[in-house]
Amino acid sequence: MIKFTLNGKPVETDAPATVRLLDFIRDNQLLIGTKEGCGEGECGACSVFVNNSLQNSCLIPIGSIEGADIVTIEGIMESEQFKILDESYSNAGGVQCGYCIPGMVMASAALLSQNPHPSETEIREGISGNLCRCTGYNMIVDAINLAAKKGDGLWQKK
Amino acid sequence: MNLKNISTSVPRKDHKGKVSGQLAYISDVKVENMVYGVLYRSPIAYGKIISIHLPNLPEGYEAVGAEHIPGPNYVKIIKEDQPIFANEWVNYIGEPILMLVGEDLDILYRLLDEVKIELEEHQAIYTLEEAIKQRSAPGVNMASYEFGESLDTITSIELKAHQIIEEEYDTGYQEHVYLEPQGMLAIYKEDEIVVQGSMQCLYYIKNALVNALACGEDDVRVVQSPTGGGFGGKEEFPSMMACHVAVAAKAVKKSVMLVFDRSEDMVVTTKRHPAKLKYRTAIDKEGNILSMCVEIFLDGGANVGLSSVVLQRALLNSAGVYKIPHFHAKGYVLKTNTVPNGAFRGFGAPQSFAGIESHIGHISKLANIDPLEYKRKYLVKQGDPTITKGNFRDPILMEEMIEDLLNTSHYKKKKREFQQLNQQNQRYKKGIGTSLFLHGCGFTGSGERDHIKAKVKLVKSKDDQVSLKISNSDMGQGILTTLCKIVAKELDLPLENVLYPYPDTKEVPDSGPTVASRTTMIVGKLLERAAKKLKTQWQTGVEQEVVENYVHREMIPWDEKTFMGDAYPAYSWGVNIVEVEVDTLTGNIKLEKVYANYEVGKVIDERVMKGQIDGGLAQGLAYGYLEKMTSKEGKIQQKSITDYGPPTSLDVVSIQSKVFDNPYADGPYGAKGAGELTLIGGAPAVQAAIEDALQTPFQQIPITPEVIVESLYVREGEDG
Amino acid sequence: MAEKIMAYRFDRLDQTLSQLNKEDCAILAGGTDVMVMYKSRRGVPPIIPKPIVFIDHLSELKQVYQNQKDLHIGACCTYSELLGNPLIPLVLKKAIKTIAAPAIRNRGTLGGNVCNASPAGDTLPLLYVYNAKLLLRSAKGERIVAISDFIQGVRRIQREPNEILAEIILPSVLEESAHVIFEKVGNRNADAIAKVGFAGYIRLNDAVIDDVRFAFGAVGPTMVRSMDIEKMLLGKTIPLADLDIAQVVAAFDKIIKPIDDQRSTAIYRKTVALNLLRYFLSMKQFQHN
Repeated sequence: MIKFTLNGKPVETDAPATVRLLDFIRDNQLLIGTKEGCGEGECGACSVFVNNSLQNSCLIPIGSIEGADIVTIEGIMESEQFKILDESYSNAGGVQCGYCIPGMVMASAALLSQNPHPSETEIREGISGNLCRCTGYNMIVDAINLAAKKGDGLWQKK
Repeated sequence: MNLKNISTSVPRKDHKGKVSGQLAYISDVKVENMVYGVLYRSPIAYGKIISIHLPNLPEGYEAVGAEHIPGPNYVKIIKEDQPIFANEWVNYIGEPILMLVGEDLDILYRLLDEVKIELEEHQAIYTLEEAIKQRSAPGVNMASYEFGESLDTITSIELKAHQIIEEEYDTGYQEHVYLEPQGMLAIYKEDEIVVQGSMQCLYYIKNALVNALACGEDDVRVVQSPTGGGFGGKEEFPSMMACHVAVAAKAVKKSVMLVFDRSEDMVVTTKRHPAKLKYRTAIDKEGNILSMCVEIFLDGGANVGLSSVVLQRALLNSAGVYKIPHFHAKGYVLKTNTVPNGAFRGFGAPQSFAGIESHIGHISKLANIDPLEYKRKYLVKQGDPTITKGNFRDPILMEEMIEDLLNTSHYKKKKREFQQLNQQNQRYKKGIGTSLFLHGCGFTGSGERDHIKAKVKLVKSKDDQVSLKISNSDMGQGILTTLCKIVAKELDLPLENVLYPYPDTKEVPDSGPTVASRTTMIVGKLLERAAKKLKTQWQTGVEQEVVENYVHREMIPWDEKTFMGDAYPAYSWGVNIVEVEVDTLTGNIKLEKVYANYEVGKVIDERVMKGQIDGGLAQGLAYGYLEKMTSKEGKIQQKSITDYGPPTSLDVVSIQSKVFDNPYADGPYGAKGAGELTLIGGAPAVQAAIEDALQTPFQQIPITPEVIVESLYVREGEDG
Repeated sequence: MAEKIMAYRFDRLDQTLSQLNKEDCAILAGGTDVMVMYKSRRGVPPIIPKPIVFIDHLSELKQVYQNQKDLHIGACCTYSELLGNPLIPLVLKKAIKTIAAPAIRNRGTLGGNVCNASPAGDTLPLLYVYNAKLLLRSAKGERIVAISDFIQGVRRIQREPNEILAEIILPSVLEESAHVIFEKVGNRNADAIAKVGFAGYIRLNDAVIDDVRFAFGAVGPTMVRSMDIEKMLLGKTIPLADLDIAQVVAAFDKIIKPIDDQRSTAIYRKTVALNLLRYFLSMKQFQHN
């Protein structure tokens, strides 16, 4: 049996150790916010937190996260930080087709909790693993910048 | 909605679901009694299927092929040359031959590996070059057009000319890389098949299904799912997938889900047509243009799809924004045994503009005039004829936009500075380049009048909520919000009271496909009229319905046979200026500054428009130097996003843009099309900047580091 | 239904080594290479042909410490952990920062980069010029091997089935005075596979070259390095004479044999590799010396 926590809830499964965390989240737990864009760790649409660390769930076999604390977009949706990001992405026009956005929001949250006041370059580096084809990134960078300002004090190193 | 100005931005209506990830795209959907489908694809580029050996299929697993198609075995688009499942012949690597369906993907993949197909391989045409050599052979020429000045006149002009410039220019593939891979689901019901999925064109799919299933209009229903990006890649391609899942659903009496892997999507879906453009221009002693002949070859891939229309647009844009004396053009779509090519934002225009801007830029060098100054001499003016004897009847703000951008970018000063800098710096060279471009809004020619005949409906409920009943897809470009804005403003309603449910053929009339930068201008205008009508008839608390039909404003009628008349009702315009730094050691390009001015009539939402500018221009620039896709013996070589190389957040820079107001009478609030315009100027501007930096001409895009290094190396070799 | 997968995840290294002594297993650290290499298709697990041993959690493999002047780096340190560690040389951090993107760096390990032995491995050119040594541990004991002996070809390493790479040792790296540079050339600024990699190392005694090393990545099945060519420059003074530079470049021209592939061309790779070498040898970074 493989045991870990998912969005604060304990999970226990006898699924094989090689099952991708992405598929476990989507097919077993029926959480759809974590998306598959490439299956190879190149696009970031499947981003989750593993023990507070931003990672691509398509590359994680569940056997290796025994005992870990996994958080998906559903796990941060109720937080103050998410509300700021939600507002900022809307105000800055950072959302078009939306497919990259849950992953982008996870990357934004990860960036801001490491670096509450990032420079433009640091923002671009922070989301460099999240591909977007619609926006050309600039309005997403604006959104994160806005969230950093608006959320001053909310972001802190975990 | 009491927005004083329609352009003022509002929050997007679908924001919540997208930012939380809870909006369900097709691969997020599970229905009961559902099985997955996986496609067996041809491993060879051209040949005959001799036999098919299926492995023993366990209970619940079945094979679906051409024999299960109730109707004729082709995907209904323009010509009947695209099989749903390959019949006897296969024409490209990746062509679907059969589908296996079943509950467990693991088992399906294993069964797929065990399928054995015996094929008799025949000599294929792999490249555009080969196809050009064989273009008189039967079946190779899939479409062609010719128009313009008589060749006799041109010959006589050339005889007296000071010099004839001949150039050959190549453009490469471009792959959409929408973040959401293609996906389609057919839901099986006794009395109807419901197909839903990622798509741009609801009724293209419906029509293809009615044809393939040989059924009545009411037996099949199509519903658009939230669509994670399209860019033209989900214009015609999804019709084939819809046929696959619908045929399978009917055959196995279960719901069938077909979702592509990214690597599958990279290799088998439609791409931007690679092109070869040949120019032959006569100039006088001062470098003035006396005549020009353009010949365009498009690599259509293995079936024609929409390529004839792509060729039309490429030809219609072959003179760029210029009034060129004695202009002649002809073009061909040629068949190769490679993945069929199709729609991609710009639809033939990006290839033409890259070509003509390159050519004119090179001629300006011969004339010893700054490229931008040279281009301005030939800029069309209001009232000028188009190259098909139509007319540029609306005001053109290009001169104003150019002047403005010259000031904003300090173009002249930068040009001088860079020339000095480059003399001192060995490794890094800087350059600045410009592009001038336009985009014809709406369907080419008489398409709106003769084929689409768009119809929109507004439905008001008892509690005074108004729903838009149209067949157009929001794929990220924001029409879910902007079209509602138009209706809300006309009816003076709060935006929340205007609804735009995902299009469903059971519910909506055919307002046309979501393509050709037509949605805001054509469908938006119809909605504006419908809303005005509803306003005059408004009865509170009563269910009401209003319908509006497309009315064609006849200008100079378009004749496809002679290629003459007004090809488009309106044009949007743009100017780009780009600064680059070239690392001569590695050939890598760094974008330094990007400036863009556009005129699209009226902006329906500033933020939405900025999103189209940032996103479209990022794609256009990357088309010029960053994204490269190649085919070797019929096989696409780049199977992963990384190998193909679309830009990351570290590969783009902030774009300084401005949009000019120039309301167009037949657009809603004066709006014209904007979706494709913003991509078109990118590649030619970046090419011009690279040429300025290196003081060397290029004859192709993408101008990758490989192209740059090989040019510097070859040049050095020749000098040394 | 999926076949039975054998997978092990022990709390301690000795238990892990004991299992490896009994069975030939696929070792999985961060998984960012393995999960791609054995990837099947969407919706299903990768197809890994052997029993799997997870090791990225083992604390014994995550130690970074100094031993006299040598730096010992635990093989299962993730790239992000190394970026945050003050003992790691700046130039190695620079190389690590060119790898993929943050989410990959949060998982991928230095040991994984070595054992994957990709011709384009981003840390490899630097590890080669550092004369990195690898500590391999097994239930039977341990041994140290030079990285250039360990990596034998494309994805081929000299690891016995019962061995785990435990540490990457950079000898004398914490001594001053060597100037080390690294350049990666990719198709874009993030998430790029190297088309050419170059590491250069030089130690000067006043203006005399005491030690100089070069390694090229992505231009051959393994890193290209030549002690013979390096010897040509020992004892010479900087700035180097044009003739000396030309001789070194010509010597490498003979042994660098890259290929055409879906990412780039042989001629590009060779030209750029030699350009970077020439630029390094011109010592433009040392003008102030």
